[in-house]
Amino acid sequence: MKHAFLIVTLAGLLIVMSYSFIQMPAIGSEEHPAFNEVSQYYLQRTAQDTNALNVVAVIITDYRALDTLGEATVLFTSVAAVLSVLVVAHPKPNKKMDEENHG
Amino acid sequence: MHSLWIEFLDHVNYIGAACLFVVGLYTVITHSNLIKKIIGINIMETSVFLLFVSIGFVSGAKPPILAVGEPGGFFVNPLPSALILTGIVVGVAITVYGLSMVIQIHKEYGTIELDEIVETEKEIKTQIFRKQDDTSHV
Repeated sequence: MKHAFLIVTLAGLLIVMSYSFIQMPAIGSEEHPAFNEVSQYYLQRTAQDTNALNVVAVIITDYRALDTLGEATVLFTSVAAVLSVLVVAHPKPNKKMDEENHG
Repeated sequence: MHSLWIEFLDHVNYIGAACLFVVGLYTVITHSNLIKKIIGINIMETSVFLLFVSIGFVSGAKPPILAVGEPGGFFVNPLPSALILTGIVVGVAITVYGLSMVIQIHKEYGTIELDEIVETEKEIKTQIFRKQDDTSHV
């Protein structure tokens, strides 16, 4: 019963998502709103702005370098969290103390 | 019916991304194994990446790598690819943190099945209540 309800819900989600995706412009169309003047600017000005060839690498490391700095911060935070979970010793609380806390 | 089939073929990547998302969500909800839950989250992430990179595609265009001595040309949208590179890093960060927590849970409970963990917690709680009852009678 629970499983059938879950499958019906997920099928409904799939139908809604597919219907809204079909309203989007077709794959590979030039009229897609994502292919706007920002991308055109990057494609046209990369060579004279940065003297580099790979436009994706230029966007990551030059035009949006501050974004990449934030990405490095995310990685550092993740490493710090993993170390705090795995390496730092978690002393087991005293058993008597534990019971008192629960009571 | 025929036009609907044409529409489906025109958006097949987007609909594939939707299917992947639903498969990932199903995995997260139904499986009680914590590592399988993390795999489901990764499948959902991958669906979003597929959707974004498909949005950037322009048919008949070259990959966005300029050739020396050949100015101009018609290139694929480079912006979604750049954004998704950041997204992949964030996904790896989330996966690593989840897996580290699974390791700690396995150390503590000896299992990574969620229903067994819930059973253990229930047993611990009932034992504590029983002890309280005993002490209150005395």
